[in-house]
Amino acid sequence: MLLFREGSREAFEELFSRHHRAVVRFAWRMTGDPSAAEEAAQEIFLRIARAAPTYHPTAKFTTWMYTVARRTTLNYLRDTKEDGEKVPILSEGEREDGVYPVQLPGPDDRNPEQVVWQAQLTGRFRTALGELPEGHRAAFVLNRGDGLSYEEVAQVLGVTVQAVKTRIFRAREMLLSRLSKDLSA
Amino acid sequence: MRCRDIRESISVFVDGEASPGEAALVRGHLASCERCRVLERQMRAVGAGVRQVRGSVPDRFREEVFARLESEGALPKRRKVVPAAWRWVAVPLAAAAGLGLFLLTSREGIREPVPSGPATSWVGTSAPRAPSPQGNGSALSTEDREMLAMLDLLEDPEAFDANDDAEGMELLAPGGSADSPNPPRGGRGGG
Repeated sequence: MLLFREGSREAFEELFSRHHRAVVRFAWRMTGDPSAAEEAAQEIFLRIARAAPTYHPTAKFTTWMYTVARRTTLNYLRDTKEDGEKVPILSEGEREDGVYPVQLPGPDDRNPEQVVWQAQLTGRFRTALGELPEGHRAAFVLNRGDGLSYEEVAQVLGVTVQAVKTRIFRAREMLLSRLSKDLSA
Repeated sequence: MRCRDIRESISVFVDGEASPGEAALVRGHLASCERCRVLERQMRAVGAGVRQVRGSVPDRFREEVFARLESEGALPKRRKVVPAAWRWVAVPLAAAAGLGLFLLTSREGIREPVPSGPATSWVGTSAPRAPSPQGNGSALSTEDREMLAMLDLLEDPEAFDANDDAEGMELLAPGGSADSPNPPRGGRGGG
């Protein structure tokens, strides 16, 4: 980023190559819609480029990048809401009332994270994720989806680490509540 | 500890963010509580669920982002750079060209010491030539020496300005004596 600030186009191209997938993925998880995610992701890179002249490395670049990304998606969601449009979060063919039970690993399974998330369950999960309060969703997505530590999530969101713990815990509880029909232990 | 009091700690635990003391507390509770073990697995499962929501990079995403940046003037112009592979060739070539230029323009670098007669001692040329044990003028005709002298002077314009050089020029005129008492800048030619 510093090289880009000094006028290196190649530095921005390298930055884009390294991070564009993560930015698109984050925008997708936050908006729940492919076209919205694309629009938001483009805006994120525009903001990063515009901010280059005043960029100062006070934190890891990725922390700063996710701060820009989160604010951009938040603004995008607000704008969409103000326009009276709902952010589409259901994919085609997804049933609102459908129940797609999936068997969670039993007590003897050693790695519960290796659950096979079938496509339909993933769709319902995405729906439930979209229904979380934005601050909870952002904390949960940044930590579980993008691998940021609680400390880094706290920096991105501008809250305390304790607040991050609480938000992620609440997000989990809400998701478990919404997916209780699908999840059987 | 009651289950509802440790639920948040279980969440922190499955994220790998629990302190050693908190982790020990959670492990101890899970060892004795089947219900919370189920909860722990569910918490891990929803964490894994986020990573299943991946999306994909749209076609032409890069082109569109860069086009917007270009239109805003937010990107520096692309520089014409020599391909990396060419740099390995270009640098030695440039060095060789520089060295060649130096040798062509510097009489000092190629002129060998000539201990013989004063008139011939300063006659030099930028072109390398084989040393002559009899002196550098023995194999040259008068016309050749005249030509070489002119070339030598052309390489050193200062020679035209100096009075003693002017005298030397007279000495170089056709038919001039090779045993002139005042050879111009005799020290230069003689090495």
